Amino acid sequence: MSIGCVPLRLHVCDARLFSEARERYRAFAAGETQPYSVYLEDSFRENGKNPEFAYDFTAQKAALRAFSTESQFIGAKNAYALDSLLRILLSWVLLRHSGFLLHAATVVRNDRAYVFTGSSGAGKSTVASLSPPGSVLTDEISLLRRENGEWRAYGTPFWGEFRAAGSNRSAPVAGIFGLKHARGNFVEALGPAGLLRNILPNVLFFSGEPAANQRLLEILGQAVKEISGYTLAFRRDRTFWEALPS
Amino acid sequence: MSTTSNGLWQRNPALAWREIDDETVIISPTESVMHELNETGSFLWKNIDGRRTAAELAALLAAEYEVTPGAALADTEALLQQLALNKLLVPAGTAMGGAVR
Repeated sequence: MSIGCVPLRLHVCDARLFSEARERYRAFAAGETQPYSVYLEDSFRENGKNPEFAYDFTAQKAALRAFSTESQFIGAKNAYALDSLLRILLSWVLLRHSGFLLHAATVVRNDRAYVFTGSSGAGKSTVASLSPPGSVLTDEISLLRRENGEWRAYGTPFWGEFRAAGSNRSAPVAGIFGLKHARGNFVEALGPAGLLRNILPNVLFFSGEPAANQRLLEILGQAVKEISGYTLAFRRDRTFWEALPS
Repeated sequence: MSTTSNGLWQRNPALAWREIDDETVIISPTESVMHELNETGSFLWKNIDGRRTAAELAALLAAEYEVTPGAALADTEALLQQLALNKLLVPAGTAMGGAVR
């Protein structure tokens, strides 16, 4: 499959989980060449290398080890655990693609992606539910990456309150909007540091390695310089679109 | 202020940091905390190298900005104390295997 143009190949032995995964990631199926392989195992298999990234997902008794060309998952007994490990892995793999995952809903309007970010309860799903059918790339986790000098937002298969996979499409980013509930609608422009302050709590990242965090900060630093950022105070109806910059 | 045995500090190598406009943003990966320094704080941060004393840093600050030597030293010592309290600085010579910018 391909998520955000990152080719991944899942190797799943368990028939039930394979069936669930195939259904869950169906919209993201792809026949990419040279995919990054993800092996679901009962225990970690020695390959003579030290992992470049490792993570214990203790809540699900699952863990991953990532190497340059493959990753091993253990404990992924159900689709939820697999989904969580994939998010964690992707947040690390994206470092080499100048990209990152953001808790954000993304809606395409006039061929441009409006990225609405915020913590749980900020209104991501509300924004998505107030948008026209077919325009929502994701209501939960957006993937942003820089390609040929342009920032694009991608849908991801990671579920939010819609309980449906996002759309496997992308669009150039029009802006990132930090959500706030209000009685009226208004937009306030943010400078680069303000935008970084706004998005940083919502960036998915799980590595404690200084070098990985430095790389992430370089990517985010470039993003906040090149992407227009705003806070959006909005009431829960469709009129918030009128406040957005065109 | 609390100080090191030789009075010298270095940036904590476990941190990630980057200049954005005139500010410096510092992230502590283990605590997921973002710290920000203003323009003069950023100037001092860039010059903290494990070899310069507070007085030497203050002299650089006074030469760069229009502040008296006394005010520069007071500001420098206050910033060093704050950064050390937040573990953004560690005693010079501390090896922590961090990122190289």
